Amino acid sequence: MATWTWFHRLASPPHVYAFARRWTPWFGGFAALAMCAALYGGLVLAPEDYQQKDAFRMVYVHAPTAWLSLMIYTTMAVAAAVGLIWRMKVAHAAAAACAPVGAWFTVAALGTGMLWGKPMWGAYWVWDPRLTAELVLLFLYFGYMGLRAGIEDPAKADKASAVLAVVGVINVPIIKFSVEWWNSLHQTATVMQMGKPKMDFDMLWPLLLMFLAFALYFVAVLLIRLRAELLRRERNASWVREVLA
Amino acid sequence: MKTRVLKTTALAAARLVAVRDLRLAFRKPSQVIQPLMFFMIVATLFPLTLTPEMSRLRDAAPGVLWIGALLSSLLALEFLFRDDAVDGTLEQFALSGQSLTWMLFAKTCTHWMLTGLPLALSAPIAAAALGVSMGAMAGVVASLALGSFAMSLVGAIGAGLTLGARRGGVLLSLLTLPLAVPILIFGARATQLAINGGDIAPPMYLLGAIAVLGVTLAPLAAAAAVRIGLE
Amino acid sequence: MNEFLDMGGYGKYLWPAFALGFGIVVLNLVLALNSLTSAKQEAKRRMEMSQ
Repeated sequence: MATWTWFHRLASPPHVYAFARRWTPWFGGFAALAMCAALYGGLVLAPEDYQQKDAFRMVYVHAPTAWLSLMIYTTMAVAAAVGLIWRMKVAHAAAAACAPVGAWFTVAALGTGMLWGKPMWGAYWVWDPRLTAELVLLFLYFGYMGLRAGIEDPAKADKASAVLAVVGVINVPIIKFSVEWWNSLHQTATVMQMGKPKMDFDMLWPLLLMFLAFALYFVAVLLIRLRAELLRRERNASWVREVLA
Repeated sequence: MKTRVLKTTALAAARLVAVRDLRLAFRKPSQVIQPLMFFMIVATLFPLTLTPEMSRLRDAAPGVLWIGALLSSLLALEFLFRDDAVDGTLEQFALSGQSLTWMLFAKTCTHWMLTGLPLALSAPIAAAALGVSMGAMAGVVASLALGSFAMSLVGAIGAGLTLGARRGGVLLSLLTLPLAVPILIFGARATQLAINGGDIAPPMYLLGAIAVLGVTLAPLAAAAAVRIGLE
Repeated sequence: MNEFLDMGGYGKYLWPAFALGFGIVVLNLVLALNSLTSAKQEAKRRMEMSQ
C-alpha cells in the first residue's frame, strides 16, 4: 500500500498546508528569476519581426496570460473532478483557489490582446476568434464564481461548482471550435491575421521561458491561496492551532 | 401480510414522469404560454429599435429570433425543476430507486415539448414580421426546434445546479449563457442560411452533434446537480 | 534608451500591455497574500475567543 501514501497525504489538510508553506518561496523565486530573464530576452535580445516589427514583442505578455487563463480553468476542472470522485476536501479548496486567479488572467489576456490589436488591426476590439473565445472563457469564470457565491452551504457550493467546472471544461473545446467556425464564415480581407509568425530561436526561447515562469508563478499563487482556503475551511481543526501557535 | 413490489423499468418510470408533467402543464398552461408570449414580444420589439425596412430586418432576423429564443428558454428553464424541488417531488424521484438520470431526461424532453417546440412552431409568425419569406420557414422551424432541444439539455444542468442557490434566476442565466454559445452560433447560422436560401445541412449537423452529446452527458450532469441540491 | 522605449513607434501600445499583464501578475500575488493574512488573523481570533 506504500504507493498510496502520497495520495492520502494529498488528502490531508495539515500535510498540504505544510507542503505549501515549504515550497511557495521556491516556486515564486524561480518564477521571478525566469520572468526577468525572459523579459530581457524578449524585449532586448530578440530581433524584431520582419512583418510586425517591434509590435510582435507583445507576444511575450499576451501569449503567456492567454495560455495561463486556459490552463487555470483546466486545473480547476481537474481539481473539481478529483474532489467529486474521491470526496477530497483539499481538491475542492484548490478549485476554489483557482477561480479568481484564472478570471484575472483572462482579463489580462483580453486587455493585452486589445492593446496588440490596436496597431495590428486599427481597432481595440475586433471579433477575432481567439479574443472572442477568451471573452466566453471570462463568462465561464463569472458563472463559476457566481454559483460559488450564490450557495450558502460551503459543502454544497463545492460540489455544485465542481459539476459546473467539469461541464465547462467539456464545453471549452466546443466553444473554441464553434467560434473559429463562425469566424471563418465572415472572413474579411482587410483584417490582418495575427498568425503565428515563424519564430527563430532568439525569439522563441524567451517565450518558452515566459511560459515556464508563468506556470511556476501560478503554482506559487495557488499554494498561497490554498493555504488561506484551508485555514478558513478547517478553522476548528487542531492542526490549525498548532500551525498558528 | 403480503407486500406488493412494484417493478418498473427505468424507461417506464421515465414515461410516467413525462405523462405526469404533460398533465400538469395542461392544468396550468400559463407556464407554457408566458415564455412564448415573451418571445413574440421581444421579436416584435426589435423593429422598433432598428428600422421598419423589411430588407434590413431580414438581415437581422436570425439574431433577433435566436436571442429571443435563448432568453425565452432561460425564462422557461426556471420552472423546469423549481416547483418539484419545493414540493418534494424531486426528493421522491431521487429516493424512488429508479434511475434519476432517466427521469430527469424525461422531464427535460417534456419541458422542451412544452416550451421549445411551441416556440419553434410559432417562430414563423415572428419571422414573417421580420420580413422572412415563406419559403424559408421550414428551415427556421427546424433550426429553432433542434437548437432549443440542445438548449433545454444544457439548461437542465444549470437549472439543477441553481436549485440550492439564492436568487436562482439571474444565476441560471449567468451559468447557462456561456455554455450555450456553440448552440447559438450553429443555430443562428442555420437560420441565416435558411433565410438566404442556402444549404442549412452543415450547421444542422453540427447542431445535431451537440444535441447528441447533450443527450448522452447532460442528464447525467443534471442528475448529479439535482442530488447535490437536495442534500 | 529612448529608442528602446519607443519600440519603433509601438511603445504606446506595448508598454501599457506589459504594464497591464505584469500588473495583474503582481496584483494576484498581493491578493493571495492578503487573503492568507486575513485567514490567519481570523483563525487566531477564533482561537483566542475559544480559550
